[in-house]
Amino acid sequence: MRPVKVERQAAFVLHSRPYRETSLVVEAITRDYGRMALVAKGVRRPRSAMRGVLMGFQPLEITWSGKGDVVTLHNAEWQGGQPLLQGRALLCGYYLNELLINLLPREDAHEQLFEHYSTTLQTLSASETHDAAFFSAALRRFEKRLLGELGYGLMLAHDTSGQPIAADIRYLYEMESGPRIIADSSASAGTISGQTLLDMDAESFDNPVTLIESKQLMRSLMAFYLNGRQLHSRRLFEELADL
Amino acid sequence: MSATLESLIEALRCLPGVGPKSAQRMAYHLLQHDREGAARLGFALDSAINRIQHCERCNTYTETSVCDRCQSDRRDTSVLCVVETPVDLNMVEQTQAYNGLYYVLMGRISPLDGFGPRNLRLEQLVARASDGLVKEVILATNFTNEGEATAHFVSELLKRQGLKVSRIARGVPVGGELEFVDSGTLAQALRERRRLES
Repeated sequence: MRPVKVERQAAFVLHSRPYRETSLVVEAITRDYGRMALVAKGVRRPRSAMRGVLMGFQPLEITWSGKGDVVTLHNAEWQGGQPLLQGRALLCGYYLNELLINLLPREDAHEQLFEHYSTTLQTLSASETHDAAFFSAALRRFEKRLLGELGYGLMLAHDTSGQPIAADIRYLYEMESGPRIIADSSASAGTISGQTLLDMDAESFDNPVTLIESKQLMRSLMAFYLNGRQLHSRRLFEELADL
Repeated sequence: MSATLESLIEALRCLPGVGPKSAQRMAYHLLQHDREGAARLGFALDSAINRIQHCERCNTYTETSVCDRCQSDRRDTSVLCVVETPVDLNMVEQTQAYNGLYYVLMGRISPLDGFGPRNLRLEQLVARASDGLVKEVILATNFTNEGEATAHFVSELLKRQGLKVSRIARGVPVGGELEFVDSGTLAQALRERRRLES
């Protein structure tokens, strides 16, 4: 049974939407209670103390009470120390939030994932001068750990027959099963090199080929688990690239 | 209930925050206590819908194809200030610190609500900013994540056209005492501090 009142829980706002005249429904991820929905009453009033605080990507401590699907938010305090996300980092942040909203079931505590989300935001916010490869690597790491936490962990060290992955062999990654050796060793579409699998296992994304191949693999994995749902933030990335 | 009354109630529900109950109350109020007000409302809505359009240059609401501000010869045509809404435009006007022209986006990019660049008339902004007179575009979207995302997209778009783009500053408000400023604002003000020239 969940406690009726929870005080000062570490949390991040993932998304919020207007509710009635002056309120918000806030979708948040909390350290000990997972993803949850909270009603924040009156916070859209001009002088509400919480008005500027309930912003995404900022470390908060929140206090709420109630039972059921939607609880009442009483207080949110900014914990500081983290610059606001800007530019490309901000779009990456939206992508993380969209993954969490779509894939993480409500009220399933994932403390590790919470910590990793928090660290990823810090990495993004401190990255004004970094290039696209830096952001890609941060996203791949997060995706991998997210899938692991959800129980969809990737098989990256062994192939489907139990043999260790060899760097110079190409594999076909089968959903919910793992990498299967393919006879034809040319880099055909949808296949992935053993080196990329090993790099992903070690979370090392320095090699440009690893970056490209891991992105393709993650894209098809995410599409599989999203089950037809489209990510708006990805579309925004594409629109930006098309300028 | 008569079909006309029902359709009135249904029509009132298009207002934000008005559910079936409030819509019914409004409809009865208008019919019972304020028929004159109802007639005025109907007329005002009708003429607003027929006469108010978007300014061809700044996209704000106007009754002429180009609004008075954009036609004025007392405005500085070398700066263009981009805001999210007409209300924001009024706020910038009230400062009396800006004499340039505007472009009103009529919204913002909000990725998680599925509201993207395609929902804003950005081609019109590009055309407006590329008139040859504009030397600088000032982005005055909100300092929310959505406002930042909008500013980022618009700045990338305009920089590719070779335009000079700037963002309004943020920090401690005028008359603000540090003791009472929220710590998020103060933190950002420290990060975006500026050097005092000697």
